[in-house]
Amino acid sequence: MQRRQFLKSMAIVGASSVLPASATLLTAPLAPAMVNVKQLFNDALAVHPELIGFANVERNFEPQTLSLEGRIPADLHGVFYRNGPAKHESGAIRYQHAFEGDGMLQRFEIKNQNIVHRGQFINTPKFSQEQQAQQFVYSGPETKIAHALPVVTPDTVNTANTNIIAVGDDLWALWEAGSPTKIDRDSMQFQQQVHLGAESKYANTLQGLPFSAHPKVDPSGDIWNFGLHPSGNIVLYHLASNGNVKNAGVINTQYRGAMLHDFLITDKHLLIILPSLFTDKSIEGHFEQIKYNTDIPMRVLVISKQSLTVIKHYELPAGFVFHYGNAWEEINGTIHFDASLYPDVNVLHKLSNVMQGKIEQASTKAKTALITLHTEGHYSMQIMPGTSEFPCVCDHVVGLKKPLFIPSVSQNQ
Amino acid sequence: MSINSQKINVNSNKLTQVILTSIHCSSLFTSSVFAADISFEIEGVNAQPSKIYAQLFNSQDSYSKGEAFSATYLQAKQGINKVIFTNIPVGQYAIRFFQDENNNGTLDTNLFGMPSEGYGFSNNAKPNYGPVGYQDAAFTVTEQQDPVINQTHIIY
Repeated sequence: MQRRQFLKSMAIVGASSVLPASATLLTAPLAPAMVNVKQLFNDALAVHPELIGFANVERNFEPQTLSLEGRIPADLHGVFYRNGPAKHESGAIRYQHAFEGDGMLQRFEIKNQNIVHRGQFINTPKFSQEQQAQQFVYSGPETKIAHALPVVTPDTVNTANTNIIAVGDDLWALWEAGSPTKIDRDSMQFQQQVHLGAESKYANTLQGLPFSAHPKVDPSGDIWNFGLHPSGNIVLYHLASNGNVKNAGVINTQYRGAMLHDFLITDKHLLIILPSLFTDKSIEGHFEQIKYNTDIPMRVLVISKQSLTVIKHYELPAGFVFHYGNAWEEINGTIHFDASLYPDVNVLHKLSNVMQGKIEQASTKAKTALITLHTEGHYSMQIMPGTSEFPCVCDHVVGLKKPLFIPSVSQNQ
Repeated sequence: MSINSQKINVNSNKLTQVILTSIHCSSLFTSSVFAADISFEIEGVNAQPSKIYAQLFNSQDSYSKGEAFSATYLQAKQGINKVIFTNIPVGQYAIRFFQDENNNGTLDTNLFGMPSEGYGFSNNAKPNYGPVGYQDAAFTVTEQQDPVINQTHIIY
């Protein structure tokens, strides 16, 4: 159900509860059935405990020693961090898309063959303000909140909810559409939204720009990333390992898909791959209006790491990708990369369904695609059996030829 | 995410021209047409030494084109700053302004065109997943009011 219909139906059902039966009957045919997202989800959760990952988290998890199956090697120690949306509900409101929830940082400290877990909501300006108000006060990209405060910049609603990387002595919690969020590594406390390029020649030119959630760290420790503007302009970043900006630039791609989740690097180039998406502005909801069109090829932009300009352009068959694995380049310029390739963008919209407790297997149908971009301008592609999503490689081989290819494949169809 | 912000682009030379023109025009109006003063109060301004540039528009069209009916500037001070437009004929108007925090005569923006210095609009209108439109910032000057008071809070 679209957002406008949802709100209309909320209003009508609210009114009908105090009307006599005859009046309710009069209004009922005009109104679509009300969807109480929170109730639907909680009913489904009671039957399908595997939905726990999409359940609302009310408060921080205090440090606790986890129970273990098996044994941890005695010399394995360190801290492992993960980040993701956790606050999906406030009062009667449940967010309609899984990407909207406020970020929670999970910390797993491995020491003395034990693991101590701690979970801490990232106290972004948005989270802090809404905690104080004890309700959501800003509309999300998908969920309309009644009497919401204006969203002046993307950072107004930056939930810092997608990824976490180590930068210098800090952690950066990342989101798709705004600034990185700096977090103290030990206390896990919010420090600030990072003003990229401040105190440098970039001054305020990078302030508040999108810094996407899957930057690539190359073997030198340098950080590469991009940020998408709905106009199709894409900002490209080259940062030192401490977060200082080494280079930044903008390319105008004419891309109208409004979502770009991941990218790749080789030792010489960035690969920005624009999936077969467009936006239908007549539809409400940021994610709902993102549509797939088989007539739009997936465009691969090969960008020089030095100049941050597009030097080559390829067209692949229509497709959609959330996550890529790795890319590498032969001496003659032939480029190889792998992707978890979806046949369309349904996976994005199923993240709205799951917020209503609908479990659908169809969201796991990505295949590992091995793609080669030949220097003459053509490509070749091989699809691997099984399903895959979110392949990862260690930083020390990012952009380099992998000595061994192990796809993150599940045989579950 | 689709978020754009209204870009205010005041070139200091153009501004000077606009000010001179508006002074000239308003002297013609004073004797024949009812005119009021507009007192525009901007709250929450920070203390750094800088100027606030403000533009007054009298139609959707001129707002879209950035062609101000009148414009002025003042030295910014911490807290509430008051901008006065004098001898303004009856009609509908909108105001936009920016604080030139680095004193380069223009509103600085990031690489995607979003303001990186303080700015704002009449009616305390704010961008909301998109730019501020003329109607959101529009207010009327009538014969009954003198002066017309409009208030806003600067956006950083």
